[in-house]
Amino acid sequence: MVSRPLSLLAELTYRCNLQCPYCYNPLDLSAYRPELDADAWCRVVDEAAALGILQLHLSGGEPTLRPDDLCSIVERARRREIYTNLITQGTFLSDELLDRLVLAGLDHIQLSLQGAHAQLADSFAGAAVHERKLDALVRALQRDVAVTLNCVLHAGNIDGIDDVIALAERFGVKRLELANAQFYGWGLRNRAALLPSREQVDRATASVQGARGRLRGRMEISYVLADYYEVFPKPCMHGWASRFLTVAPDGRVLPCPAAAAIATLTFENVRERGLAEIWQHSAAFNAYRGTGWMAEPCRSCDRKDIDFGGCRCQAYLLTGDAGATDPACSKSPRHDLVGRAAVGSSAAMLPRRP
Amino acid sequence: MNPPALAQGVRFRRSADGQGVLLVPEGVVNLNDSAAAIVELLDGKRTIDAIAAALGERYGMDNAVVRSDVEDLLQRLAEKMWVAEAATAP
Repeated sequence: MVSRPLSLLAELTYRCNLQCPYCYNPLDLSAYRPELDADAWCRVVDEAAALGILQLHLSGGEPTLRPDDLCSIVERARRREIYTNLITQGTFLSDELLDRLVLAGLDHIQLSLQGAHAQLADSFAGAAVHERKLDALVRALQRDVAVTLNCVLHAGNIDGIDDVIALAERFGVKRLELANAQFYGWGLRNRAALLPSREQVDRATASVQGARGRLRGRMEISYVLADYYEVFPKPCMHGWASRFLTVAPDGRVLPCPAAAAIATLTFENVRERGLAEIWQHSAAFNAYRGTGWMAEPCRSCDRKDIDFGGCRCQAYLLTGDAGATDPACSKSPRHDLVGRAAVGSSAAMLPRRP
Repeated sequence: MNPPALAQGVRFRRSADGQGVLLVPEGVVNLNDSAAAIVELLDGKRTIDAIAAALGERYGMDNAVVRSDVEDLLQRLAEKMWVAEAATAP
């Protein structure tokens, strides 16, 4: 029997006013139009609730570029008892929008910074927005909604991790997510410039461990590992089509936000088929569900129910075969593909563009 | 201490199959039956003693034993910042 999904990632739009070079959005952003309208999204929420979904993550692109639709979707999700999480870079979080979102029942906001200091952070965002983001952070923290501050770490900012932690402390942030960049979409395109060295990652990891001890009970720090430097791959999505699904801006339903890059699979659209049917029956969802699809070394590995062979998208993007062991795994015969990845911040970065 | 309550951004509910879950910013946390029974009573008004008494009576168990289970769970949830003391005493 197919398990029930727990969480749905709704990508309202891939449009964004920032140009972060590590963005995991696809390179062909304009291929995801027309976007689903608010009525279609509310229908998706109803179908998600019926399917057993408990959490809705609203992201993009920048979801607050559709403020009215965003509020309608949050309100509908709340009515269906679904927990709502807004993932935003915060540059459009006016007092008015914050108040409307809280009134609609928003549970949580994840607000991202590009670093602790304006000059460096703005150089990655591609716009002078750092101060505006801090202002949004203060105003979000004053309201009746939980807030997590997020910072994606890469070669260009990871050495400033202590300053990011100190900033979070200074602003009274209770939840901080420090996430090593993952290499999909624009991030993969810019990998040579973004990939930190092992020494940089080790120092950052030590900083997180120290801060966790020092701030226990005051700030919860979640840390997304740099999978290129781990022994075992990340248990991506807790296994393909096991707990999570993503609906892309154009209505395509994906087992993972990066999955559209897998050209060997065809993804169905909520405009044409119900969410539950897609979840249970679509060929793309069943392709890598469970462990039956695995080849060696995954098939006989005692960790196959722990990390599920790693990430299907990463396997495809690096080896050309979505059914291969994730090359981030040290047991992968193609582990050289991550080991050989060039490290060096001298490489030019291509800013994300709409 | 003030009565314990779920922290901001944390909700308890039961899924379609009756499983007690905590919905937290980081995701969905499955609770076992005894943890769910405790968390369900965290309303920011009941004290730890009141929760232990209610559960002790419901399951016919010694209050001191139940109280220790409640304290252990609250300690673990507090470390993840999923519960806090209610802001003001009732």
